[in-house]
Amino acid sequence: MTTTLLPAPSAALPPPASPRGRGWGERLSAYAYIAPFFVLFAVFGLFPFAFTFYVALFDWNPIGDQVFIGVDNFTRMFADPRFWNAAGNTVSIWALSTVPQLLLALVLAHVLNHARLRAALFFRMSVLVPYITSVAATAVVFAQLFDRDYGLLNWLLGLVGVEPIDFVQSTWGSHVLIATMVTWRWFGYTTLLYLASLQAVPRSVFEAAAIDGAGPWQLFRHITVPALRPVIIFTVVTSTIGGLQIFTEPLLIATGAPLTCGAVRQCQTLTLFLYEQGFGQFEFGYGSAIGVALFVMVVAIAAVNYLLSTRIKADR
Amino acid sequence: MTLRLPLLCSAVILALLAACTPGTGGGGGGDGKSFEFWSFSAINQKLTVDAYQAKHPDVQIKLTEVGTSTETAQSLTTALAGGKVPDLVLIQGDNLPQFVEQPQNFVDLRTLGADDIKGDYLDWVWKQSVAKDGEVLGVPTDVGGMAVAYRTDLFAAAGLPTDREAVSALWPTWDAFIETGKRYKQATGKAFTDNAATSVFYQAVNQVSEKYYSQDRKLVYSTNPQVKAAFDLGIKAATSGITAGQTSFETAWSAGMAQGQYAAVSAPSWMLNSIRSTAPDTKGKWDIARIPGGSGNWGGSYLAIPKRAKNPQAAWEYIKEMQSPQGQLEHFARVGALPSTPSVYKDDKLTSAKDPFFSDAPTGKIYTDSLLELKPFYIGPDSAAIGQEFLNAITNVEQSGGNPATAWDDAIRNIKTAIGE
Repeated sequence: MTTTLLPAPSAALPPPASPRGRGWGERLSAYAYIAPFFVLFAVFGLFPFAFTFYVALFDWNPIGDQVFIGVDNFTRMFADPRFWNAAGNTVSIWALSTVPQLLLALVLAHVLNHARLRAALFFRMSVLVPYITSVAATAVVFAQLFDRDYGLLNWLLGLVGVEPIDFVQSTWGSHVLIATMVTWRWFGYTTLLYLASLQAVPRSVFEAAAIDGAGPWQLFRHITVPALRPVIIFTVVTSTIGGLQIFTEPLLIATGAPLTCGAVRQCQTLTLFLYEQGFGQFEFGYGSAIGVALFVMVVAIAAVNYLLSTRIKADR
Repeated sequence: MTLRLPLLCSAVILALLAACTPGTGGGGGGDGKSFEFWSFSAINQKLTVDAYQAKHPDVQIKLTEVGTSTETAQSLTTALAGGKVPDLVLIQGDNLPQFVEQPQNFVDLRTLGADDIKGDYLDWVWKQSVAKDGEVLGVPTDVGGMAVAYRTDLFAAAGLPTDREAVSALWPTWDAFIETGKRYKQATGKAFTDNAATSVFYQAVNQVSEKYYSQDRKLVYSTNPQVKAAFDLGIKAATSGITAGQTSFETAWSAGMAQGQYAAVSAPSWMLNSIRSTAPDTKGKWDIARIPGGSGNWGGSYLAIPKRAKNPQAAWEYIKEMQSPQGQLEHFARVGALPSTPSVYKDDKLTSAKDPFFSDAPTGKIYTDSLLELKPFYIGPDSAAIGQEFLNAITNVEQSGGNPATAWDDAIRNIKTAIGE
């Protein structure tokens, strides 16, 4: 190894003046520069990814036998009510979190872009604070706020005579709780994306419309929203992919039965189901099959994204 | 240079990766006396390890407190599948069957002399770590006798007796336990026990002669009347209004315990540690009564040596010394874990042990008594998953408004989905 550190005589010479300009060694060096990333990516990204497809075809006991069973894991998955329950929960939590989050971000971005807003930088920075807070900390705090017996929210509801609501143990309650956490964490990030896009719209457009007598709602409806259309589609797609991968929040709110997120899997998402099967039951084959199903869903959504964005470009 | 530096970087990274490749074995030192030990957190294993090292200054033990018993079993599975294994590992009884199914991953302790010490241990506890061809995979470190811990101050406020003999007489059966709960609820308006699933069902179902498997190791969970009876008791407790609906070990369960939200909680011997650390301010307000329905066992752990361990002999020396009847008796004195060696059950050190946190209850005597009439049953590879689904079904009725009439059928269907038969 040490010998390669010494400058070899040939390397110290200027490159030979070939008609093409550079020698093969120098052209190869570009690949050597990017190799560290791709080597690590291949080992920790590509290989596990490809291996998942392989394992999904086996009844794979990590400390015992590995039996090839073809597509049995997939037939089992399609017949498994727990899988469909998890898929339903994932969609429900995604809808409950994405819609309010994007609407809120849209309105906030519109307000933060207002010409007469004072201390704009302060407000623009503060919406990002939930995003930089650890998701585990967020989950712990929200689980306490929404607790049935000792939670602040139920205490407030109790003041006006409402019976305590068990958010974690009820289906809709746990979905609302998780969606609230996701919204809280991501709305600032989405707001800033919208804001950045809005700032690319010349202020004169808003001013001209205002002079023509447009009110705030008309400005929002006819300038802000159309200007943001590409980035709105982008955020819908990214939050959908993110929504398919919600994991930490459901894992942390039902501490008594974390892997199922409660006694009747009321808030178990697809990723949590994958984790339960793979690392709770050690059914690696079945867990991998769920992972493959998730992959297919994400690819499908990415394809929709591609079609939509090419259409937007064509419209212009 | 432009070429060689990046190539060198890549080479270094590849070399680092190679160094991380699994299979390089455990952490014991080169002298053959030191070893690496994986245990659970929060069970004070360090005290016992320190005691051993004090007696054997030449032995270095690298103790890792992996996490809960389940997390430890998960880490062990990952390690066995292709990673660095410890020389010695603690496995909780509920997790043991999945490892007993795959004996090729462990040292058969008969090769180290397990047959010589076999007679020291409770026979039915020992048998649980014996694999199909007679391989002995683990040595039992403790057992989990059963009892009920209750708050004397809250019982007094409800007009119930507080003396542990009188309280034990209140509930010879689980039905009587539920009736007592109703009396308490009527007098105070508060919940009597934490939850129906663990405090009633999980205790009752561990007092049977056959549980989810028959003695010849066939699945009988759906047809065994003893399981159904225990389940019905759980549902009865869940619908009687005597429970606080707090799932064991959740944060609100801990808060409820500290605040006296419920007055009684089922307490296998290892639960006492949990009560002590969860509600330290309630010291002296607790006492311990006998479990309804007589005897039973819940829990207990085993020490095993993975096949790829570097220093199996050193680990075996530790097992032999620390898990001997005398070693377990000393362990009981240190942390309160109940010995799995019946020869010390009459020992004065055990029978006279009193716990000041629990109003000087004679814990050693109460818990060993609960083991005397025990009818051992076979615990199989799917026992844990089956138990979890039964628990979930009862919790669903108790906390999520599930229908008690369909709970049994729902549970059976969920179990079939979970274990595939």
